[in-house]
Amino acid sequence: MATSLVSSCSGSHSTLDPAGPEAAKVAQLFYVMLAGGAVIWIGLVSVFIYAARKKHQHTEENAGRVILWGGAIIPSVILCALLSYGMWLMPAIRPWVPDDQSVRRIEVTGEQFWWRVRYLDEADGIMFETANEVRIPIGEPAHFSLKAADVIHSFWVPSLGGKMDMIPGRTNPLTLTADREGTYRGVCAEFCGESHALMAFTVRAVSPADHEAWLAERSASDPQDAEGLAVFLNNGCGACHAISGTAANGRIGPDLTAFGERGTLAAGTLPHTAEDIARFVAHPGEIKPGVKMPHFGMLPEDDIKKIAAFLKELR
Amino acid sequence: MTIRWKHLIVLAIIAPVLGLGIGWSGLMSVRASSGHWAVTDWFLHWVMRNSVSARAVSPDKVPPLDDPGLIPGAAGHFETACATCHGSPAQPRPDSVMAMLPPPPDLQTVVPEWSDGELFEIVKHGVRFTGMPAWPTQSRDDEIWSMVAFLKKLPEMDASAYIKASGLHGMGQAGEVSPLPITCESCHAESKLNDGSLVPRLAGQSEAYLLSALKAYTGKQRPSGIMQVAVGTLPAESLPELAAYYARQTPSVREAVAQDPALIEKGKTLAEVGRASDKVPACLSCHDKAGANPAYPKLSGQNSAYLRQQLLLFQAGTRGGSSYGHLMSEAAKGLTPQDMDALAAYFSQR
Repeated sequence: MATSLVSSCSGSHSTLDPAGPEAAKVAQLFYVMLAGGAVIWIGLVSVFIYAARKKHQHTEENAGRVILWGGAIIPSVILCALLSYGMWLMPAIRPWVPDDQSVRRIEVTGEQFWWRVRYLDEADGIMFETANEVRIPIGEPAHFSLKAADVIHSFWVPSLGGKMDMIPGRTNPLTLTADREGTYRGVCAEFCGESHALMAFTVRAVSPADHEAWLAERSASDPQDAEGLAVFLNNGCGACHAISGTAANGRIGPDLTAFGERGTLAAGTLPHTAEDIARFVAHPGEIKPGVKMPHFGMLPEDDIKKIAAFLKELR
Repeated sequence: MTIRWKHLIVLAIIAPVLGLGIGWSGLMSVRASSGHWAVTDWFLHWVMRNSVSARAVSPDKVPPLDDPGLIPGAAGHFETACATCHGSPAQPRPDSVMAMLPPPPDLQTVVPEWSDGELFEIVKHGVRFTGMPAWPTQSRDDEIWSMVAFLKKLPEMDASAYIKASGLHGMGQAGEVSPLPITCESCHAESKLNDGSLVPRLAGQSEAYLLSALKAYTGKQRPSGIMQVAVGTLPAESLPELAAYYARQTPSVREAVAQDPALIEKGKTLAEVGRASDKVPACLSCHDKAGANPAYPKLSGQNSAYLRQQLLLFQAGTRGGSSYGHLMSEAAKGLTPQDMDALAAYFSQR
């Protein structure tokens, strides 16, 4: 049991396995609070044991002193210490970033029940759009602009930092820094509807050189499977989904450019296999209740398979 | 003697038994031939009139009924479904229906006695114990209002106006006793349609779409009192022939209708790029695209009144359709009435 407890604290989705300085401070705060809590608990238990011993005769003056010290002064001192520590840590947990900096930002918009991701250039122009997966370079802060399209969502990558609400009509800035390469899982941390629990995303932290290469490559994608693309377009998938370099330019649902590179399907809901893609195309509502995508189970099975195979290999 | 509780209890037991006994004995006549007593007749009509006027649609909820596009579809349906009993300006009620109890009234005479809201109530829900049926579907109020619009016109119609409106193939030949022939062409003929027609153009439509629409009507997945009656009794094997027949036709060239250019431009933008902020996809991603799935109907050149009506039905969630119909209910959700006007104007002249 101890092993399972310890192992559940590591992995791509754990505050206690930090992958960046901000998350490290969050973890540090947790351990300090844990230690502080342990001190209070041990003190309290000691007082209980002391009080329960019969041989002591407590005078009224004696008891008053215990209440004053044990009930007011010591807890106040400990709580003030923990609060001061928490306040002192705050700038490191959520670094303050001036809004007017000209940096490349990643705009993430929470929608029921997926994440619209736009890479912006220094002038806030859209370089390209993607969905449900964010790539960031390691060793430098990634600047996020967080928005919401419909209801309140919350953006949380436990391994990289604290959560930040996404509020319709507002843009909330957030910076996260990863200092080791890896794949981290993010989730929506604010109840947003029936498939709230099925609204996750992936953060891939890569070396700055790889990141630059990916940015350049991603801006010019070129789908290969012409037959699959034709089935995709002829059934109207392009009305809602975009694939750059093709006639599909819908902006209603997730952008599918280079969909084959993604690790998961349907915002972290399913593994990225051709069978699961076909299943989602045919019956999205059975997999994600409340999903906005209409089902395409009425298409010939062969067409669904062709679309799935096309998307699986889409680079 | 004084009436006590136990007398009442005995009466309450005896009365229903006595009633059942009379029913069982066969003494009660249900013969239509013997008619009602005058008092029964008065009572039944009095109850019926009270029921209809109590449930009538209030005058402020009556939609405008002066659109000429409302008439042809309703007239064709009248001939198919109503004239059998009520007769029409072209054919009086036969003696067989006059022997019903009560005999179906001559509508040219009685329609002026009712308000629009009352006519709607009668046509939608029918009248119990009289033989007047309810509208075949309860989710198409627009069709029922078109019938009300037609009924309002009926008192002034003569035979030739009626034949023209309902698309009948002229008066019967000498000696011909069967009803006047009515066909799909009675309503859907290119020559009968214009931009304001609620009856769609079928000429040149995708065959797969036409067949799926016919099957959706006969299978009741696309509710329509008019079309369910029109095609519901056709043999299933004739549906593909019918779809192929209309798919083969060439739509006739139509005079352009003067439309507001700004409206058409708005429709064009919506059709080409949609409006992602309201989750409105571009129409042309599916419709009227080379190589597109033939289940998606062609819209270009369709009557704008029909297009607008279908968008309204999709948005209301009552359109139904083939297994593809749900796509449009989703797509039409974010449209405003102005968007629908614009799209209808754009596609009708495209």
